[in-house]
Amino acid sequence: MARQPDNKSADKSAANLQSDDSALIRELALLLDETSLTEIEIERAGLRVRVARNVTMSAAMPAGFQPVPVAGAAAVAAADADLAKHPGVVPSPMVGTAYWAPEPGAKPFIEVGSKVSAGQTLLIIEAMKTMNQIPSPRAGTVTQILVEDGQPVEFGEPLVIIE
Amino acid sequence: MFDKILIANRGEIALRVLRACKELGISTVAVHSTADADAMHVRLADESVCIGPPPSKDSYLNIPALLAACEITGADAVHPGYGFLSENARFAEILADHNLHFIGPKAEHIRLMGDKIEAKKTAKRLGIPVVPGSDGAVSPDDDALAIGKAIGFPVLVKAAAGGGGRGMKVAHSADDLMMALSTASNEAKSAFGDASVYLEKYLQKPRHIEIQILGDGRGGAIHLGERDCSLQRRHQKVWEEGPSPVLAAAARARIGETCAKAMRDMKYLGVGTIEFLYEDGEFYFIEMNTRIQVEHPVTESITDIDLVLEQIRIAAGGDLPAKQEEITIIGHAIECRVNAENPQTFRPSPGKITQFHPPGGLGVRIDSAVYQGYVIPPYYDSLVGKLIVHGKTRAECLMRLRRALDEMVVEGIETTLPLFRALVREADIINGDYHIHWLEQYLAGKPVDGKT
Repeated sequence: MARQPDNKSADKSAANLQSDDSALIRELALLLDETSLTEIEIERAGLRVRVARNVTMSAAMPAGFQPVPVAGAAAVAAADADLAKHPGVVPSPMVGTAYWAPEPGAKPFIEVGSKVSAGQTLLIIEAMKTMNQIPSPRAGTVTQILVEDGQPVEFGEPLVIIE
Repeated sequence: MFDKILIANRGEIALRVLRACKELGISTVAVHSTADADAMHVRLADESVCIGPPPSKDSYLNIPALLAACEITGADAVHPGYGFLSENARFAEILADHNLHFIGPKAEHIRLMGDKIEAKKTAKRLGIPVVPGSDGAVSPDDDALAIGKAIGFPVLVKAAAGGGGRGMKVAHSADDLMMALSTASNEAKSAFGDASVYLEKYLQKPRHIEIQILGDGRGGAIHLGERDCSLQRRHQKVWEEGPSPVLAAAARARIGETCAKAMRDMKYLGVGTIEFLYEDGEFYFIEMNTRIQVEHPVTESITDIDLVLEQIRIAAGGDLPAKQEEITIIGHAIECRVNAENPQTFRPSPGKITQFHPPGGLGVRIDSAVYQGYVIPPYYDSLVGKLIVHGKTRAECLMRLRRALDEMVVEGIETTLPLFRALVREADIINGDYHIHWLEQYLAGKPVDGKT
């Protein structure tokens, strides 16, 4: 059955991801200003964002990973401007749909903070009913998961950052 | 009608298909290799999917990647353009297996016309005149001399496994035949691994004339006149025009109807071109191309029919755009294929186009995907663009072409524009007095025998 597209272009580049997140962060920062809250933290799709007043802002990763504090009151975008050029990037070797887990309901192969060895399965990319395990090109730690569960991906699309 | 078409091609034809899709209100998906991420049609498409690295086999010929791209975008039809997978029957079948429409002929017809010996047999059966020759391969046991005499000398010995102009030897008379046969056979064995040869009548100075047809797949078909593509270099067409300077209306109607009737009998679906060699008033079938061709704008100019749009309509079950009696040939059109090559050595010249000014004005059309600042990648063909000019008469068309060629600017790379500027001033070209060997003789600096 052909997949129905969402409204956005199938070309989910890092730039799109960044603008989504910076819009979110802007929104959270506005919310802080409008209320008397000093801190708001939300988590979605493997990304946790904490926005706090008058202290360092940081984009925090889920359990087990040290948040990287960034000076200044301005919100920071969680994703780099050009993830494709990140030295730890793992780009997609094929076109298809990315899944975090071997099957629906199962535990994801990795999460942010996971330590992986070379060859270890990071994701599955499905194309035409065949499941393709995507191996890690090197040993390291997963610092970012750049695709959502069930997201269509193209050749070369940044999937994961392993550092 | 289709909702979303995936354009399985690149360059100028991908842009051409995109234009037709947009005019029909159909969503477009551009697939591209990493080398084509900045292509014009990728920028203009509703969606784009990168399908692989630069090499064609990993991208534009990568059937799994194309299918996956259809899957993730929800495309319901694929337009294959020309080249690449456009005449790949297996690709057409695979798409059908996945409930996707292939915008092209039925797979069985692609397969039939793809085998050159079968195609010739089919053409013969359908009443299309073929090059007289041996009935299949000529083995050492056959009476080659008798076959040769029946065909009439000079005779061409052709390798059955050859093609693209390779593996051919001319036997001018009965005395040469046995030597030509053994030489050709030995060369074929070492070049193609198959010593089989067959004989065909050798045409000395033929013109290449092809007939454009359109079939609705249900037994209806029309022809849209001819294109004269005699000016070729290494079997690549360089300049095409329509109508042919040598064909009168009666001859056109006769060969056109022969082709259209054959397509009706076959229940052919979509666009197609039947190619002939034409000499001394006789047509000889060479092959049929079951796809849209590079030079289709020539026919569009003189019939006012959008062939790519009709291709899509017909693939979606639509009717032919007109009845045969409603098709009229209007004026004259010439197309020049401008390549990124040195105009003398034809060495490819990929690189950045620093200045680009396409000519304009009445009757001038440019089918090109390049733009100022575009970098022509080295991985694919060298076509910069096609310049198509139309005029009320051939003379007016030539003047307009001369003007348009002089106005066109492409800098930063070498192009074959200087060659066309020279050709449009050549007496034989102006007189329409040329044949399929003319251009190579001209380029070799030999005195050109322009008499056809």
